[in-house]
Amino acid sequence: MLLEVRHLDCYYGQSQALKEINIEVEEGECICILGANGAGKSTLLKTIAGLMKPRRGEIWFTGKRMDELPAYTIVREGITLCPEDKKIFPQMSVYKNLCLGAWIHGRKEERIKANLEHVYELFPILKERSDQDAGTLSGGEQQMLVIGRSLMSNPRLLMLDEPSLGLAPMVVNSIFETIKEINARKTTVLLVEQNASMALKIATRGYVIESGRITMAGTAEELLKNEKVKKAYLGI
Amino acid sequence: MGILLQTLINGIMLGSVYAMVALGLTLIYGILNVPNFVHGTLYMIGAYIAYFAIVSFGAPYWVGLIVSLIILFAIGILLERIVFRPFYDKPLINSFIVAVGLILVLENTALSLWGPEFRQFAAPSDKVIKVMGVMITAQRIIVIVTAAVLIWLVHLFIKKTRLGSAIEATSQNPDGALLMGINISHMRGITFGIGTALAAVAAVLVGPILLIYPAMGHTVIGMAFVIIIIGGMGSFIGAVLGGYIIGILETLVTSYITNFFTEAIIFGLLVLLLAVRPTGLFGKPH
Repeated sequence: MLLEVRHLDCYYGQSQALKEINIEVEEGECICILGANGAGKSTLLKTIAGLMKPRRGEIWFTGKRMDELPAYTIVREGITLCPEDKKIFPQMSVYKNLCLGAWIHGRKEERIKANLEHVYELFPILKERSDQDAGTLSGGEQQMLVIGRSLMSNPRLLMLDEPSLGLAPMVVNSIFETIKEINARKTTVLLVEQNASMALKIATRGYVIESGRITMAGTAEELLKNEKVKKAYLGI
Repeated sequence: MGILLQTLINGIMLGSVYAMVALGLTLIYGILNVPNFVHGTLYMIGAYIAYFAIVSFGAPYWVGLIVSLIILFAIGILLERIVFRPFYDKPLINSFIVAVGLILVLENTALSLWGPEFRQFAAPSDKVIKVMGVMITAQRIIVIVTAAVLIWLVHLFIKKTRLGSAIEATSQNPDGALLMGINISHMRGITFGIGTALAAVAAVLVGPILLIYPAMGHTVIGMAFVIIIIGGMGSFIGAVLGGYIIGILETLVTSYITNFFTEAIIFGLLVLLLAVRPTGLFGKPH
């Protein structure tokens, strides 16, 4: 088991955002988490990434307990998050943003260079824009930068929070193609999406989260066929 | 012409001091989001440390400067860790009150240990250089050149080193920096240390020209806040340019108009500027 979330409870002050969450992810899978706005999907990813601390429950990754570690050490363990609000460094160049993604590699120049080439290969537009300030990129380009930046640390688990948010359909397609490709190259993917039909196309399995609880789990085909999922998330 | 040139040189000298103090303040503000009111007090302590190194221990001027720089760098790191860190996720008013409390404690400690009298230490060189009919003391040139070199070094550090870009990233998006695996607490400490060391060096540079006393930080910190507001809170270039502009302006006003309400005039300009550009010259809109 690569990632195991056990009985996770999370709070914002008094209000409970996650209730008894249990999730398991095997190496190489592409898992999607479906749910409406405010269901707790982003909270779950933020908690795994260490930006939020759970009140109860445990997070295990490659047999190591994660929920007690400080946030900045999580990425060293092999988990990276592409957050919904991107969190790029707007007044720094695209190149510097990418290099910061490889912060944990320290001064291993060779490795950083190889990663950079890999990212430029996935997103050629980033190479063109490498000297530009990240804040001047379009929404789609920023999303590419965020994914590229997170790949710079060679994650074993890549978590993506709403990568399609606010993007034109064409761009969404190409982003999802890339996610599929990243997954095909042996990086495990945990994807949170409101665009359920897109997400289920590339996912192997999925969970449905409603008001902070997991209400359904299954393979992508099972979820695609499920009447409730069809009605609530696929708009069919 | 001679008087104007003399005034301009004095203005650039004062501007160099302002630029260094304001740069320290803006770096700290940029990364901690705390208006560091203790900054002026640390400037004062920097001057005293150099004074004791030079006068009591007979150290050469440059040794005094470096000792003060190192000690204030360490004090900055300690202050961030002990005093400011516990208040980051609390309302801003908390760290504000803590800062004001610290000013009182530090200043009164200085007053009771060292007394209210004015002190001064000698410049490393008392040469006077004559250029185009203007007499310039060597110390004025030392202030101007050292400040310019240090500001340039800080710029290079932030733009060209790994650590520098981690500091910049932390100030632009702390959560983003955390996700990269950057220990943002370290970055905050280092930045606080650098900012404080800059203030200390500024104080040691003008030590032979101005006077050293426990309340010497008051006017400087007031001006430094005006400068970083004019330049745009958190802006590097804004603090540096703002420092030189205000230094020159203040000297011009004092020598050509009046020396009674120079500060009122500068603050008046600030109000006017903010009416036109609420984010300052180089500030980013929120």
